[in-house]
Amino acid sequence: MTNENRKNWLLDILMLPIGVITFFPFYLIIVNTFKSMQETALSPMALPKKWVFTNYTTVFKETELLRSFSNSLTITVISVLLMVIIGAMAAYPIVFNPNRTNKFVTVYLLAGFMIPFQTTLIPLFQLMTDLHFIDRLYGLVILYMGGAVFVFFLMMGYMRTIPKELPEAAIIDGCGVGGIFWRIIFPLLKPITVTSIIYQTMWIWNDFLAPMLFLNSKSNSTLVLLVYSAKGEFSVNWPLFMTLTVITLIPIFIFFIVMQKQIVKGIVGGAVKG
Amino acid sequence: MGKLLRQMKFQLFLLPILLIYTLFSIYPLLKSVLLSFTNFDGYVKTYDFVGLNNYMKIFTDDALVSGISFTLLFAFASTILITVLAIPLAIMLDQNFWSKNVHRAIFFFPSIPSGLLLAYIWGFILAPISSGVLNGVLEALFGMGPQPWTSDPVLAKASTIVITAWAATGWHAVLYLAFLQSISKDYYEAAAIDGATRWQQIRLITLPLLAPAMTISVMLLLTGGLKVFEIPFALTRGGPGFETHTITQVIVLRGISETQYGLASAMSVVFFLIVLAIAIFQVKFMQKREERIQ
Repeated sequence: MTNENRKNWLLDILMLPIGVITFFPFYLIIVNTFKSMQETALSPMALPKKWVFTNYTTVFKETELLRSFSNSLTITVISVLLMVIIGAMAAYPIVFNPNRTNKFVTVYLLAGFMIPFQTTLIPLFQLMTDLHFIDRLYGLVILYMGGAVFVFFLMMGYMRTIPKELPEAAIIDGCGVGGIFWRIIFPLLKPITVTSIIYQTMWIWNDFLAPMLFLNSKSNSTLVLLVYSAKGEFSVNWPLFMTLTVITLIPIFIFFIVMQKQIVKGIVGGAVKG
Repeated sequence: MGKLLRQMKFQLFLLPILLIYTLFSIYPLLKSVLLSFTNFDGYVKTYDFVGLNNYMKIFTDDALVSGISFTLLFAFASTILITVLAIPLAIMLDQNFWSKNVHRAIFFFPSIPSGLLLAYIWGFILAPISSGVLNGVLEALFGMGPQPWTSDPVLAKASTIVITAWAATGWHAVLYLAFLQSISKDYYEAAAIDGATRWQQIRLITLPLLAPAMTISVMLLLTGGLKVFEIPFALTRGGPGFETHTITQVIVLRGISETQYGLASAMSVVFFLIVLAIAIFQVKFMQKREERIQ
């Protein structure tokens, strides 16, 4: 604050132990993926005396890792894409065709923020059963569409900053209601689309409750669900379980490294609007 | 005619969200309320209205009582702990030092992966037997015997709260940091000229100007805390007994596993009311606070 250009190395020293402690759990699981069961039990914190790589090959052999990865990816990508489109579509008439009905619709949709998923759980379970959506990837995707309300909310805020003259000029040029949205408005929504994608990707990729309740066969398992069932199967083999955990952390770590700036921007943008 | 057609074309854009939202949020919410007054058990299609019976049962059901009390404890304790840690952390990360960006990334990263995975990692550290990492360290340093971190009622509750703080503090620090960076440097310079110490600057300039950030952060923490499920479930499975059962876990247990739909629905309605009441009260209270200190 005061000494702008001087780097305060005292703070480096002060922060070091806090940073080390925060990072320690990740060091711990990574280092133990290269150990045998005995060595993990004897000295969990040290670097491996003898580096073992078989945990990695065993995990790929004993679990349906690639299958689960592709399930997670399919569910996440399709859900997030549909949510962004549905959310943006919904914001369009609210912002560019305001009338009394749409005011009511806005309130109706925003009420959704107050409804916890848990409160709808029992009827949802029955509904999913009646629709034969249990243990179907598309069933879960359709369930996740409810998250479009959050995207709608972000999109509505952003769309209000688009000048009203823009679509009006397009009307004169002979563009229809649909054309204006798809060709003019939607491409302008790129920044808020990125924010929406980040939020919803992190939610769906990490979600555990809905896959646990609505997917039950191994071949439909998501990555998080795979880790959950492996916890029971490998209960005594910590190195193997940690290897699985580390592998499932890799995609999310890459996502973090690549998107860190956008994630931070998204937090701030989303939070200020929320 | 053309105008009407245009209106209809516009309204069509609302169709997908209204269908999805009504079917997967509003309809289940109303049905939860309806079921909460019935003895529906999922096996027989017919059911009777039983008035407030299910609501009365909540208070005599051990799991439900534990669920409510632990969830409330968790929500408030984790909110306080994270807020108390995140604000100083944000102030630190706002300073100029060499490893600033590395530290930001380290504190921020735990908020990215699934809570289930994080809790499993901590399960290894907190393993109750002497081979548990933390017990090993305590043994080596202080000669302490093994502590039951996840199986003693008090320790298990504390563990879930501390792990949550480890996972979420960085995220909230980043939120505060964004607000810190928008505070004009002029305030600090003027205060320094008036002879204000560093601590006075923080207390009289930084903290009051962080009040709006605090309203947002606390709201997110409280509502998120009430919906907690994964970390306690993965760390303790809700045990010992029902001690660390969350409301969510209890709804799944009584509703889905035991198909006591009426009782679980009553529970979920009570949960909805708790979330609603706390959210409204919190926002009102914090906004008043903002007005008072600014």
